[in-house]
Amino acid sequence: MAAFGATMIRAGRRFLSSLPALFGVLVFTFLLMRVLPGDPAVFFASGPNAGKEEIEIIRKQMGLNKPVPDQLMLYLYDVGRGNLGRSMMTGQLVTKDLRERLPASLELTFTALLIALLSAVPLGVLAALKPGSVIDHGVRLFCALGVCVPTFVSGLLLIYVFYYLLGLAPDPTGRVDIFTTLPPSRTGFLLIDFLLAGDIEGWWAAFRQLILPALSMALFVVAPLARITRASMLVSLGSDFVRTARSVGLPWWRIVVTYALRNAILPVITIAGIVFSTMLGANVLVEKVFSWPGVASYALDALLTSDYAPVQGFVLLMASVFVIVNLLVDILYGIADPRVTIG
Amino acid sequence: MSVTGTGRPLSAVAFLAFLLAAGSAQAQTRAETLRYVTGASVNTLDPNIPGTTREAFAVSLCTYDRLVSFGRKQLNGKWVFDLDTITGELAESYDVSPDGLKLTFRLRKDAKFQDGSPVTADDVKWSLDRAVTAPVLGKAQLLTGSMTSAEQFKVIDPLTFEVTLPKPDKLALPNLATVYPIIINSKLAKEHATADDPWATAWLKEHTAGSGAYKLETFKPGEQVIISRDESWNRGSVAKPASFKRVIIQSVPEPATRANLVERGDADLVIDLQASDVQSLEAKGKLKVISTPQYNAVTFVAMNNQIPPFDNINVRRAVAYALPYDDMFKAALFGRGAPLFGATWADGKPSSGAYPIPQPVKLDLDKAKDFLKEAGLPDGFSTTFSFNVGQASTAEPMSALVKESLAKIGIKVDIQKLPDAQMSTQINEKKLPFFTEGIVAWLPSTDYFYRNFYTGNQRWNYSSIDNPELVAIAQEARFEPDKEKYEDDGRKLNAIHFSVMPQIPLWQPNQDAVMAPSVEGYTYEFHRQVDYRDLSRK
Repeated sequence: MAAFGATMIRAGRRFLSSLPALFGVLVFTFLLMRVLPGDPAVFFASGPNAGKEEIEIIRKQMGLNKPVPDQLMLYLYDVGRGNLGRSMMTGQLVTKDLRERLPASLELTFTALLIALLSAVPLGVLAALKPGSVIDHGVRLFCALGVCVPTFVSGLLLIYVFYYLLGLAPDPTGRVDIFTTLPPSRTGFLLIDFLLAGDIEGWWAAFRQLILPALSMALFVVAPLARITRASMLVSLGSDFVRTARSVGLPWWRIVVTYALRNAILPVITIAGIVFSTMLGANVLVEKVFSWPGVASYALDALLTSDYAPVQGFVLLMASVFVIVNLLVDILYGIADPRVTIG
Repeated sequence: MSVTGTGRPLSAVAFLAFLLAAGSAQAQTRAETLRYVTGASVNTLDPNIPGTTREAFAVSLCTYDRLVSFGRKQLNGKWVFDLDTITGELAESYDVSPDGLKLTFRLRKDAKFQDGSPVTADDVKWSLDRAVTAPVLGKAQLLTGSMTSAEQFKVIDPLTFEVTLPKPDKLALPNLATVYPIIINSKLAKEHATADDPWATAWLKEHTAGSGAYKLETFKPGEQVIISRDESWNRGSVAKPASFKRVIIQSVPEPATRANLVERGDADLVIDLQASDVQSLEAKGKLKVISTPQYNAVTFVAMNNQIPPFDNINVRRAVAYALPYDDMFKAALFGRGAPLFGATWADGKPSSGAYPIPQPVKLDLDKAKDFLKEAGLPDGFSTTFSFNVGQASTAEPMSALVKESLAKIGIKVDIQKLPDAQMSTQINEKKLPFFTEGIVAWLPSTDYFYRNFYTGNQRWNYSSIDNPELVAIAQEARFEPDKEKYEDDGRKLNAIHFSVMPQIPLWQPNQDAVMAPSVEGYTYEFHRQVDYRDLSRK
C-alpha cells in the first residue's frame, strides 16, 4: 500500500511536470490556426446576401477584430476559467460540445481496444509458440490485411454486408437507434447509462450500434499489437527463466501465461497506450462512416471551416488525454513489473 | 471506476423490474414519423444568426410562421415554389395600395404562439424591427425589398399591420416570405433580452418562440433535431395541421450511408446524395426520385476580369469555346441538371429576358485558337483552376476535363483544391483568377441576379466585372413596373453578358430528392431544402 501511495505521488508530480507541455500545445495551436489561410468570418457569412457588414459582425463576434496578441491573452484568460470559446459550426460552447462527444469517442475506442487486445494477444502468443508454422503465417497474413485495408473501407464493407445485404446490424447512424429513448445521462457512456437505468433493451440497441464501428477500428490496430506480442513473447520464451521453468516441469500454460506473457506484456502495454491515443483522435473516418458523434469528426468539420475554437479545444483535449494515458501506462508498468518505477 | 462497481447490483434489480414492465412499452408510430437524413447539420434555431446553415433554415420554416408564404406551381410536371403567388400565412389577407407604397396585413384572429398567447401586430412589429435593426441576417435580405428601418413598420390595431415603402418595390412582399422575417413571440423573447442583447439573439439561438406548424422536441446541434406537430396550427394551404406527427432531422455525414438508409427504408427522404448513387437508386426503381433543376441556382466557370490574362475579352471567349461542355456535364452531374450551353440564339440575340438562359457556346477548338491569337497569346499561358473541397464530387472530374481540353489550345492549367474557408476567403479577396463556383438567389428575378452577382467590388461578383451600362440597366429594371419593358431590359442584360463573357454559366444542377414511395407532396423550395409541412404519407 505504501508502495502504491508512493506511485501515486510520483504520478501526480509527473502530471504537474507535463503542464508546461500542455501550455505550449495551447499557444502553438492558437497561433497555427491564425496562420492557416482561410478566414472563418468569410466562410460563415455565406447566406445569399452576406456582404461586408455581415463579415464584420462575425469577425467581431469571434473576436478576430483585435490584434493577435490580445486575442491570445483573452483566450488564455478564458481557458484558465474553463471556457474554451464558442463553436460557430454548432453554435454551442466548445466545452459543452466536447463533453457530449468525448464519451462517444471514448466508448468506441475502449471497445475497439478491448476487441483488439482480446484478439491480438492470443494471436501473438500463438504465433510466438510456433514460429514459422502455418499458424504464424496465418496470423501475419491476417495482420497484413488488417493494416492494408483503411478503416473507412472496412467500415463501408461491414455496413454493406451486415446492414445492407444481411440486415443483421442496425442502421449505421450514431450511438443508438433513433427511436430508442435515451437513458438519463450519468456517465455519458451509453452502455453504462443504459445499465444504470435498467433498460436492457436499450443496452442491447446501443451495443448493436457499437459493434460494427468498434470492429472496423479494431481490425486496423490488431496488427501492431499482435506483432509486438509475438516479438516480445519470442524473446521471453527464449529466456533463461522460461528454460528453467520448463526444466523443473511446470505445466505449459503456467510457463506461457504466468512467466513468459507477464514478462512480455510491457511493450504491449506501451503500444496499447499509444494506439489508444491515436485511435481516439485519428479515427475520424470511422466516425464519419458510422455517423458517430465523436470528437474527431467534430474537429475535422471545424478544421475545414476554419472554426478556431473547436479545433483549439480539441487539440488541448487530445494533449490532455495523451498525458493521462501515458501516466496510466506508467502506473500499469508498475503493476505488471514491480521493478519498474516512474519518476 | 466506482460507477461500474455500484452499477452491477443496481442493474440486476433494474433488470427484474424491466422484465415485469416489458410489453407495456409502446412502439413508436413509425408511419406518422418522417425521418430525414442529411450530410449537413442544424446549428441554430433562429435563422437570423450569422453562420446559419441551410438545414437550420428548413427547421425555422416549420417552427416559425411568417406573414406570407410562397405558393407552388408545376414546372415540367414537378412541384416548385412560385414566386408570383403569395399567400397569407399569419396574415389572413393583405392589400397592396394602388401606388405600391403601402402593404397592409390583416392577421388571423385564431393564431396563437406555441405557449398559447395570441399573435398580435405588436409581435409582428417587434419581429420585423428586429430583422432590420439587430445584427442579424435579415437586414441584408430585407434591404433587397426596400425595407431598412423600423419606422416603416406600423401597428394599426392589434390585428392590422402596415409596411410603408419608399418606392414601389416588387420584391418587398416576396421578401417577407423568405426565411429571415420570422414572427417571434415578443413577450417571451423580451423576457430573455439583456442590455447587451436587446433582441435576445443569444436566447433565440437555442430556443424557439414561434407559432409554427411544429414544436421543438430535441435539438442536438450537429447530430439531430426532432420536431413534433402543433395540432392547432392552421396556417397551411389547407388550414389543417401538418401531416407528419413527428419529423426527425438527422445528420449522417457519409453519402453512401445515406443512400443505404433510404434504400433499406430506414430513412424516408434525402436530398443530398451523390449523383452516382441517385442514378443507381433510380435505376433500381424501388424508390421515388424527384429531380428538379434548381432553377434559382447556377454553376459557373468564373474568370476574374481584372487579373491578366483574363482581363482580355478574347481570352475569356477562347476559354468559353474550349470547354468540353457535354463531357463535363456527364462527368460531374451524370447529366442530372439543366444545361446552360449549346443553345442557338436566332440572329445572335438572347432568346429571353430571363436569367439564366442557355448560352450559344459549344466546344469549338478552332474558334478558341483564333480568339487566343486575337488576344495576342497564340501559344497560350499558364493559370490555376480552383474549386472547394465541399464540391469535390462534382468539381474534381470537371476540373480534370477543363485541364485536358484547355491544354489542346496551349493553356496550361494547374488544379487547386482548396478547403472551403480558404476558397471563400480568396474569392472575397479577389485573388483567384479562374475557378468554379455556384450562386443561388431566393428571389430569382433577372435584375436581382445582375445587381447581386455582376455589380460592385464584392464577394458575389465572382468575375469582378465592372460594366456601367449593365449596372444602369439592372438598377432601372428593379423598379420597372411594365412587364414588357422589364423583359426588354432582361434581354439587353443577357446580350451584354454574352458579349462581355465575364464568366461562363454551365448548368443548373438538379435537386435530387430520393424518398420512400409512400412520401408525397415534395416541393422544390426557394431555400433548396425540404419544407416538411409540404409532405405527407400515403
